[in-house]
Amino acid sequence: MNPQNSPFMRWVSRMVIVCMMVMGMPVQNASASIVETDQVNFHEMAMQDRAKINSFLDRQDVIAQMQKEGITLAQAQARISALTDEEAHTISGKLDQLPAGGDVIGVVFAVFIILLITDIFGLTKVFPFTRSIRK
Amino acid sequence: MKVLSRNARLLAGVLLLFLGGCASTPQTNMMLAAPHPSLPRHVELTEVPYFVQDSYQCGPASLAMALNAASIKVTPDALKPEVYLPDRHGSLQVEMLGATRRHGAIAYQLAPELNDVLTEVASGTPVVVLQNLALSWYPIWHYAVVIGYDLDSADMILRSGPERRQILPMRTFENTWARSNYWAMVTLQPGIIPKTADATSYVSAVTALEKVSSPAAMQSSYSAALKRWPDNLAAQIGVGNTAYRMYHLPQAEAAYRRATQDHPDSAAAFNNLAQTLADQGRYKEALIAAHQAVDIGGSLSQAAQETLTEIESKMRQ
Repeated sequence: MNPQNSPFMRWVSRMVIVCMMVMGMPVQNASASIVETDQVNFHEMAMQDRAKINSFLDRQDVIAQMQKEGITLAQAQARISALTDEEAHTISGKLDQLPAGGDVIGVVFAVFIILLITDIFGLTKVFPFTRSIRK
Repeated sequence: MKVLSRNARLLAGVLLLFLGGCASTPQTNMMLAAPHPSLPRHVELTEVPYFVQDSYQCGPASLAMALNAASIKVTPDALKPEVYLPDRHGSLQVEMLGATRRHGAIAYQLAPELNDVLTEVASGTPVVVLQNLALSWYPIWHYAVVIGYDLDSADMILRSGPERRQILPMRTFENTWARSNYWAMVTLQPGIIPKTADATSYVSAVTALEKVSSPAAMQSSYSAALKRWPDNLAAQIGVGNTAYRMYHLPQAEAAYRRATQDHPDSAAAFNNLAQTLADQGRYKEALIAAHQAVDIGGSLSQAAQETLTEIESKMRQ
């Protein structure tokens, strides 16, 4: 049996995942008594604890989705930490539907013709060789 | 022959209506009819670097151009693991903002106004935009960098995908940009405020750096915000909190005190002042401020009460 697949190793890797998730949790400040700047800017912190939990869940959800999109756990954690609670909430559960800028130039023929026309009329700009006839 | 061409034109018109809906370009119309008097007629930021993009890499490439223009040396390859989603063949908008922060820069999303884009470009800042190059029901999402414009020829100038200098008619630009709900962002060194920024959005953009940047870098931005908007509460608290985090207690105290004077109804200002005074062993003054914070109460009443209790217990020791 491959030692990497042994029940023990699986248990260890699960523990590591749990530990890493806990490490990614919002860290309390050294002094708990300072009111954070984001709480001052957005006056809707009546349920601060609930907001913190929701934010944690949003972030875990995004991390899981990012991993499905081909990102490593460590990368996903670093990426999510650069987002605000609000941003994490916007993409949570919607990672596969939101616009992802990447310009895919693999257009089927019918759509090619349509886009060629719209390009020429300045409605779109898909093809580098088109020039809009309208100013 | 004439009839044929008229029919063809009619057909094209109907087709166009069907395809694009009634595509109109109100922002371009307004810009060309009555541009803001302070806008130069022609601007091109020729010194903005250009990175050729690999397939699907317009996100990392565009961001690299913007960051390098802000004197932050980074390559598209280095940005790829920070913004790109391999299976989506693209990069999300919020991650463009997030990755900017990871390089210590302020990520500021502009208001959805063509005028704001041109104003930023005219003041020397290239603008990253999200376009849908195709149609709403057949989207081709694409990031590009606006580096210039020409009001006389009604053109935008972009670094876009394979094109180092793309001249795009302003109306075409608006059509493609409108489909992303006019999404645009700038990347800036800490302490520099976009010309078109509003106080709340800018301070939020600085606060968003909290988890990934140093208090010193953030403080310069909060201080800059205070210069522009002297009585902004969040910026005042921000200056105090970053000073507190660096253990510059007298500086933090001064910032909080100013906040309590300008905003006598801010529980946060009094609470943080109380805590800072207590940390310096000045319990009597701290107690007064803590009581004021509790009296104001509001959404922060629990935090204020905890501070008060802590100070009282320290005084008993």
